[in-house]
Amino acid sequence: MNEKVDALRVVQDPAYAASLTEAHWQSLALDPTWSELVGEFHEMVAPVMALYAQNLGVPVSQVLRPATAAADTTPGRPEQFQVLGKRVPRLHGLGVVTNLGQFTQNMRMPGMLHTRTLRSPHPHAKVKSVNIAKAQALPGVVAVLYRGNLPAEYRDVKLGSGPPDRYLFNEEVFEVGAPIAVVAAENEHIADEATHLIEVEYEVLPATLDMMEGTRASTVKQWENKENGTIIAVTPPLVRGNPDTARADTTVEAVLTKSTEQHMALEPTNSLMYWDQDRLIAYYTCQHAHGSRAGLSQALKIPANRVRVIQPGYMGSGYGYRSGVELTEIHTAILAKITGRPVKTIYTREEDFVARTHRPEFRNEMKLGVNRDGTIQSGQFRVYSNVGAQRAGSANGAWFIMQDLYKIPNLKLEATDVFTNSFKSGPYRCVSHPNGTFALEMMIEKAAYAIGMDPVEFRLKNLNEEGNPDNKKPFSNPGIRDCINAAANRIGWKQKWHAVRAKEVRPGVFHGIGLAAHACSHGAGTNPATGQVIVNLDGSVQCVSGCTEIGPGQRTQMAMITAEALGVPLTRVSITTYIDTDNTTDTGGTNGSRQTNTGGRGIYEAAMDAKRQILAIAAEKFVDDAKRRNQQLQVTADQLDVKNGEVFLKTEPSRKLRLQEVVSFAGLPILGRAIYKQDGKWERTAWASHAVELELDTATGVVHILKYVAAHDVGRAINPFALEQQIEGGVVMALGAVFNEELLIDRATGLPLNANMLDYRPPSIKDVPEEIDVVLIEHPKEYGVFGAHGIGEPPMAPPAPAIAAAIYNAVGAWMEQMPISREKLLAALRNVR
Amino acid sequence: MKSFELYEPKTVREAVGVLVKFGNKARPLAGGSDLVAGVMKDWVQGKGMPLPDALVDLTTIPQLKGIKADARGATIGANTTLTEIVESKELKDRFPLLTEAAQSVASPLIRNFGTLGGNINQRPRCWFFRGKDFNCYKKGGDFCYSVSGDNRYHAIIGGELCYIVHPSDTATALLALNAQAKIAGPAGERMVPFDNYFVGPRQDILNESVLKPEELLVEVFIPAPAPGTKQAWSKLKNREVYDFAIVSVAAAFAVQNDTWVDGRIVLGGVAPVPYRATAIETQLKGKNIKTSVKQAAAAIRTVARPMSMNAYKVDLAQTLTERTILAALA
Repeated sequence: MNEKVDALRVVQDPAYAASLTEAHWQSLALDPTWSELVGEFHEMVAPVMALYAQNLGVPVSQVLRPATAAADTTPGRPEQFQVLGKRVPRLHGLGVVTNLGQFTQNMRMPGMLHTRTLRSPHPHAKVKSVNIAKAQALPGVVAVLYRGNLPAEYRDVKLGSGPPDRYLFNEEVFEVGAPIAVVAAENEHIADEATHLIEVEYEVLPATLDMMEGTRASTVKQWENKENGTIIAVTPPLVRGNPDTARADTTVEAVLTKSTEQHMALEPTNSLMYWDQDRLIAYYTCQHAHGSRAGLSQALKIPANRVRVIQPGYMGSGYGYRSGVELTEIHTAILAKITGRPVKTIYTREEDFVARTHRPEFRNEMKLGVNRDGTIQSGQFRVYSNVGAQRAGSANGAWFIMQDLYKIPNLKLEATDVFTNSFKSGPYRCVSHPNGTFALEMMIEKAAYAIGMDPVEFRLKNLNEEGNPDNKKPFSNPGIRDCINAAANRIGWKQKWHAVRAKEVRPGVFHGIGLAAHACSHGAGTNPATGQVIVNLDGSVQCVSGCTEIGPGQRTQMAMITAEALGVPLTRVSITTYIDTDNTTDTGGTNGSRQTNTGGRGIYEAAMDAKRQILAIAAEKFVDDAKRRNQQLQVTADQLDVKNGEVFLKTEPSRKLRLQEVVSFAGLPILGRAIYKQDGKWERTAWASHAVELELDTATGVVHILKYVAAHDVGRAINPFALEQQIEGGVVMALGAVFNEELLIDRATGLPLNANMLDYRPPSIKDVPEEIDVVLIEHPKEYGVFGAHGIGEPPMAPPAPAIAAAIYNAVGAWMEQMPISREKLLAALRNVR
Repeated sequence: MKSFELYEPKTVREAVGVLVKFGNKARPLAGGSDLVAGVMKDWVQGKGMPLPDALVDLTTIPQLKGIKADARGATIGANTTLTEIVESKELKDRFPLLTEAAQSVASPLIRNFGTLGGNINQRPRCWFFRGKDFNCYKKGGDFCYSVSGDNRYHAIIGGELCYIVHPSDTATALLALNAQAKIAGPAGERMVPFDNYFVGPRQDILNESVLKPEELLVEVFIPAPAPGTKQAWSKLKNREVYDFAIVSVAAAFAVQNDTWVDGRIVLGGVAPVPYRATAIETQLKGKNIKTSVKQAAAAIRTVARPMSMNAYKVDLAQTLTERTILAALA
């Protein structure tokens, strides 16, 4: 195989996918970009998986069958479990809140250099010359890396898909923030000052900043493009039934938009790298240590086992943008090699905002046909996504909910990804799903009001609880109906929902209530799911997992899963915070909310493997002990179980052995291990419904949230405490995007306007609703570890449509463009007064 | 960050000496939250705004700190932190307007470091001014990007060439309280009423006050308010903590039987200077406040000239003025 497979092209270009050889498919399965697509953009990848599952080593999907009840449909009964369902605080929480934990940003090494990058101030330009003489002459500067002196072996290295290509230093730059030169110096300030001494001559080229402008045939092409303007790809439409000819009593139409958001992880992206002879050691704030290793190994052209990536487990979160590596990390590795010294790179907040990825801007052109009896007849939904200055895809990520949440007999889904010379798109907590949920749920709300039906009733009437009608995969025990009912009950829907603009609580202040439902593919789990469980001679248990902890407590949860599966107290189990690629196996990235069912699955299977060994040894020991007492005893492993660290005879629980005795009997530690392949037959889906009650001051545009309810079907609550935190955190994060957060550019220059926390305005603690009522619905999933489904991302989507619905209920204005900023709200109110 | 020399003078005289030596290449340093963590970190510079070669640390001058109050009024050293102002009982009893304005600044962390002088003299928050690649008028360039750009937070009153809004909450409150600034320079000290302290872009596009590069704000004097003076502060922001005003209103006025005798209404966040709304004050003079406040507040419309994206701020200024005046009465 002589060429790298373009993972993105595989999902966008069916002819290309068909041309791949078996070797290509094998390499694709190991590709970090592919892995990210599978985790975060499940819906883009699904059609390819359906066709080529065999080549990828994944089972083919099966025919749709009615949703069968999972093995255990009873809601969680705590007594059923020893450890699961207990409210366990984060095992490493003290290190997180005190900063005593080993955060990458705090790490220092003797002789360490610091870098700073000079970046393009133009959205599209040719770099005509770069003069580094003055920067190099500044005392304290050790090396300056740029296109002119990049070692020959790295000149053809690029990241992601092309065209346009993203080389380590492009001659033609396509975005503000594209790297021009990197300085390594004795300290950060010298490096920073030196970047300002570098002289660059640019030839400024015309830029496309507006997404819809990029779709026009008249827009200047920036590379050989068979599509119009700067369109990256038009996904082949998904058609179900006869959407063009289907008739309905009422058709509702709207254009709904969402603007660019950035994650703003508290700890800026940073790394500390050095070379140990021919091996690169990289401490790095990443969400997928093995994925970052793959990225570095490919870019540096060395085998994966010569790159060691360590993520310390103490990290100021990730939210999606830290799965692979950026150009900056490769620059850092090369500078460490050239200088022979450890090199530390800390992104400035502005760089983290601009140079990394974003949740893209979306535009949805929506048409929904409904009958007066409340049945949905047809949907025609066209989604545009602004993927920024790179070849990427995200528009059809919004399809999942449109396909799955309601029964829509006639459906047409279209998706177009558009390149602009602007912020690059990428995973951000639920990626494209919040857009799909906002777009679809706004239509549902509008349709319900249009036919004069209670929006909650309308939703319940049209729910799809079977499976995906297009790929025929069934849902496993979906809890969406319970979610909607729980959210409606807890907010007091029946008592509080009223006619539009019908409740003025004080002069100019209106009360409103709204609800939204959600379905997304996140939380599913993916391949490979691996893990190891070591039982030491003293009976203590160690979990070894390649799962990268980014803050939500994945590793605490893994210890809980191990304790439960193995039958030992949680206090007997240890797990490191950190992940080191030198001594772990890849278990996927901590993205797509997948670690419950990926790292968690791997460790569960490893614990079960260890348990099998323990029971076998224990059986021998029972027999042996009896023999010593001159007794006859027939015991086999299947007659035994473990609970609370003791192996006992199921028929005679008082006959038991301590775990320590069992392991010492063998005289060897036990190693349980697993490399697990997921069952591909399910349409693995996260379900949720949120409801909100608010008051809106029409004179000032101040929205005061009185109560917020978030109901989620989590399959099984492994650690309710962590779950609640995830859901509350997701709601707060989403509320920031509902009211304030949008990354703005100046339309004349393409420069960012608010790439800092002050002007971008994530919410403060005082902006958070006083009450977020979290409801955990447990409908165990057949594919889930103990029935669980992941939770990280789903809370991010419902707040936007729920708030917009409540605002409509309060004042009668449809807020169709996110965020609902004060100026937009006041302008809309002027029209409904 | 660009390298610089740090001076730690013990007296005002010594500090002024360093400022004279470096001219506009030196900047006084107090809390540093805007100068160091803002302007210098972000390389906010231009022909008319060189980054400093020297910083003159004012925190080493004991004279500049402290709150003194007597029958005449209160004197606050420029280096007094905002937290010290918020926590002063004397100020709270007599000038609750200032206490509230100071408390509405940024966050507790910033208020612990940020000083009164620094808050008054901080540079504007205009995102074009702050962006290192926008060479705007205020930095000595030849363009204002806000006129055709995103001006949702820009001036609705008094913008000319440049459309910044003055960012200081305490300055807005101090102008309403008819305070004065004591300025030290090479020629000694002078008192400047805040009425004359701030300058708009027509008068001086590179600076927001009359302070010259070799001068220092050393203290602020607030005269004791007339008996029966009502005070109130409102600040509308898009985030409850750590945000600047979209519109703020400082009201301080003397009342007799609900009738306006004399006083000031000052708006923040609407103009390049803290804006004294004389049009509103005139409408209220000698009138029953409760019955005339609505119409008086609407007078802001006669002076407002909103830009393409910020007409909503005119509505907000009107609403907030009305509410603040009524809140002061209550």
